[in-house]
Amino acid sequence: MSREQNRILDGNTFVVSDDRGDIEAGPTAVVGLFSIDTRFLSTWVLTINGERTSALSVDDLQYYEARFFLVPGVAGQYVDSKLSIIRQRSLGIGLFEDLTLLNHNEVGVDLTVRMQATSDFADIFEIKNELTKKGKYYAEPRDDRLRLGYERDTFRRETIITSSVPAAFDPQGITFQIHLEPGEKWHTTLTVSAVAVGPDGQDLRLGLSSQSREKGDLAVDLNQWLTRAPTLNSDSRSLVETYKRSLVDLAALRFPPLSLGGPALPAAGLPWFMAVFGRDSILTSLQSLPFTPELAATTLRVLGLTQGSRFDDFRDEDPGRIVHELRYGESAAFEEQPHSPYYGTADATPLFVILLDEYERWTGDLDLVRYLEFEARAALDWIETYADLLGNGYIWYERRNQDTGLENQCWKDSWDSISYHDGRLPGFPRATCELQGYAYDAKLRGARLARRAWNDPGYAERLEKEAADLRERFNRDFWVEKGQFYALALDADGQQVDALSSNMGHLLWSGIVPQDRATKVAEHLVGPRLFSGWGVRTLAVGEGRYNPIGYHVGTVWPFDNSFIAWGLQRYGFREEVAKIATGIFDAANYFQGRLPEAFGGYPRELTKYPVQYPTACSPQAWSTGTPLLLLRTLLGLDPHGDHLVVDPALPPDLGRMELLDIPGRWGRVDAFGRGRATLHSKEVERSPDGER
Amino acid sequence: MPDYPATHEAARVTIADFFEQLGHREHEVRLEGVRGSIQFEIERGDKAAGGGQPVDTWFLRLDRGDIEVAHERRPADCVVRTGEGALARIARGEENAIASLLRGAALVEGNLYLLVSFERLLPSPPGTRDPRARYQEAFR
Repeated sequence: MSREQNRILDGNTFVVSDDRGDIEAGPTAVVGLFSIDTRFLSTWVLTINGERTSALSVDDLQYYEARFFLVPGVAGQYVDSKLSIIRQRSLGIGLFEDLTLLNHNEVGVDLTVRMQATSDFADIFEIKNELTKKGKYYAEPRDDRLRLGYERDTFRRETIITSSVPAAFDPQGITFQIHLEPGEKWHTTLTVSAVAVGPDGQDLRLGLSSQSREKGDLAVDLNQWLTRAPTLNSDSRSLVETYKRSLVDLAALRFPPLSLGGPALPAAGLPWFMAVFGRDSILTSLQSLPFTPELAATTLRVLGLTQGSRFDDFRDEDPGRIVHELRYGESAAFEEQPHSPYYGTADATPLFVILLDEYERWTGDLDLVRYLEFEARAALDWIETYADLLGNGYIWYERRNQDTGLENQCWKDSWDSISYHDGRLPGFPRATCELQGYAYDAKLRGARLARRAWNDPGYAERLEKEAADLRERFNRDFWVEKGQFYALALDADGQQVDALSSNMGHLLWSGIVPQDRATKVAEHLVGPRLFSGWGVRTLAVGEGRYNPIGYHVGTVWPFDNSFIAWGLQRYGFREEVAKIATGIFDAANYFQGRLPEAFGGYPRELTKYPVQYPTACSPQAWSTGTPLLLLRTLLGLDPHGDHLVVDPALPPDLGRMELLDIPGRWGRVDAFGRGRATLHSKEVERSPDGER
Repeated sequence: MPDYPATHEAARVTIADFFEQLGHREHEVRLEGVRGSIQFEIERGDKAAGGGQPVDTWFLRLDRGDIEVAHERRPADCVVRTGEGALARIARGEENAIASLLRGAALVEGNLYLLVSFERLLPSPPGTRDPRARYQEAFR
């Protein structure tokens, strides 16, 4: 029987357990205590006199704290229990678990309280790919602690468990023999430290300037985070709930990388992706810029710092290329996986430039734009040189690491995501359409930064010329005349990969689409083949590989929809924006305001509720950011010089909406909007090609 | 991972050549945003044993693109302790410095940001080439 999961997290330390607080990891189940991409507890099971417990209730106090109210005995055999068990856990440098027992009986009781504790020290990649361990395990019980360890050559990871009251430690756990008088209470605090042992016997993170925060700080920090963000008031209570959920989940997903002590950027998602991901961190930072601009600043700094500087086939690294994924586990440590870091992404590099410009437009922080001048130019150079594998002016991708590299280096990174209409898969290299849109946008934004911050008008002109050429070339090569839409990709022969997909929605956001074609694109996006009623499908109904629960071939991805809506708004398609935003916000209600990574592409009228994709991550950063970008889009927020333009177009269902204290170069301003019965598609207010 | 060099002398020469060449670079545009110093403490053998006396030390000051190299021990913002074998492989572009840290083969104290910045100075692994060479004659 599958049980409800409980998850708490802080940075890249997290615990996934069942609703009793127990952890029982199977070979491929992502449950346990995890830190730096390693599982430090794979078994953590509480028994009272040999019996498992049952949950009466669970409080998710905060994202880093949970409380379980339990009674002895397994579910289904309800007994009028005379014993209460309270398990409260929180995260700091490892796991803290307060265990309290209360005797409600009229007589005293003798109890054997046991916590079974083991660890397989699995790398998160081993759980994903079912690999076997090469090192050896050890368990060292002592009078005051249990040390569980794993060793392979110089690599050592240890789990150290202690108790605040005396206990008997053995190689598989801890046992307490206790006596409780009537009304008496017993309590202990178990501390589980996750240690990455360095050559000096200390945790290798200990000597680094980045220090883990104290437990108490997390509460203060969350409070400050929520206070700093704008306040949303709306007639729609569910919208306000969704907004709050997003802010808290975004706080939870903040991740301080080892190399920058303190500041945090958004990790990609729980549980698989609590790590630095170039694409995910950038897109989430873009979504949340009007609300929490500090995430963008850290993302830019970290990605600038780790930018590629040489050729490395194992890591798919080139000079100027922005990181795909950075991991700290055993497979990265032994260079069995290339993630120290891995560079196999074709979109993070142009997106890095786009985020830098968008960040400056909102914050006016020219210092960071000047600080990252070399990195931004190197990124723009990468687009023009190493990304253009075939020398015909497009971003192409083909992995050089054929063993462990990624086949598809765009956001739809599963193996079958890029297909022709008839379902065939193209060869390599591939040039997907949205990559070319990002390249176009990056060049124009790079030109703006060159004039504004780098004092290099000559470079700006060159970039604008390149952008204009790209736009012309792209509209010649990618436009599918017969279907009146943009091809998903070009194959190595220059032929169109002609499936109808959501990718072209991103082209509107990039502004590479002429107005007359934008109308056609918008029609497709909200038409019956792509729009499910909840959102735009990744791949249209009728395509060879369409599958409503196929990861990138038919599901609806909330984040994808938020960027599509932003693009539609750019071209003035306000009814279409409202349609998508309403669908996604409605879907969010079914998930208590927490949008999953993806849900099924079934027609809305068929299933009545959005069907969650089976192994989707939740919370996931860019799904968490989706309500934020949709709010920005509905309120029509856009910086214009030192002012914030507010041009709302709300769907009628949303009623009144006000967003107060929006931070930016203007200080703080408020935005108001009201849903109207009918929305008129307005003429474009500014040319998509013009200076922004 | 490549094999450990046959003799520690070979590793010592590789390391010395690497740092001496760094000292001759006039200006490194890739490090214009970086200021700080790194001390490399090198132990005999393949990895940091922890606590032992270093057999060799190199000091590096990065100052907005200028690089100062000294073959001595000085106080620094970031101290990297590792074996001569591991450092020689890092200097040849064969091994990743962060992987060494995660593996427990190197010990880093202080500002890790500086070590990650320093990685920009490391060469490509032997035998790699421009990715366009596979597709375009001009880059072969």
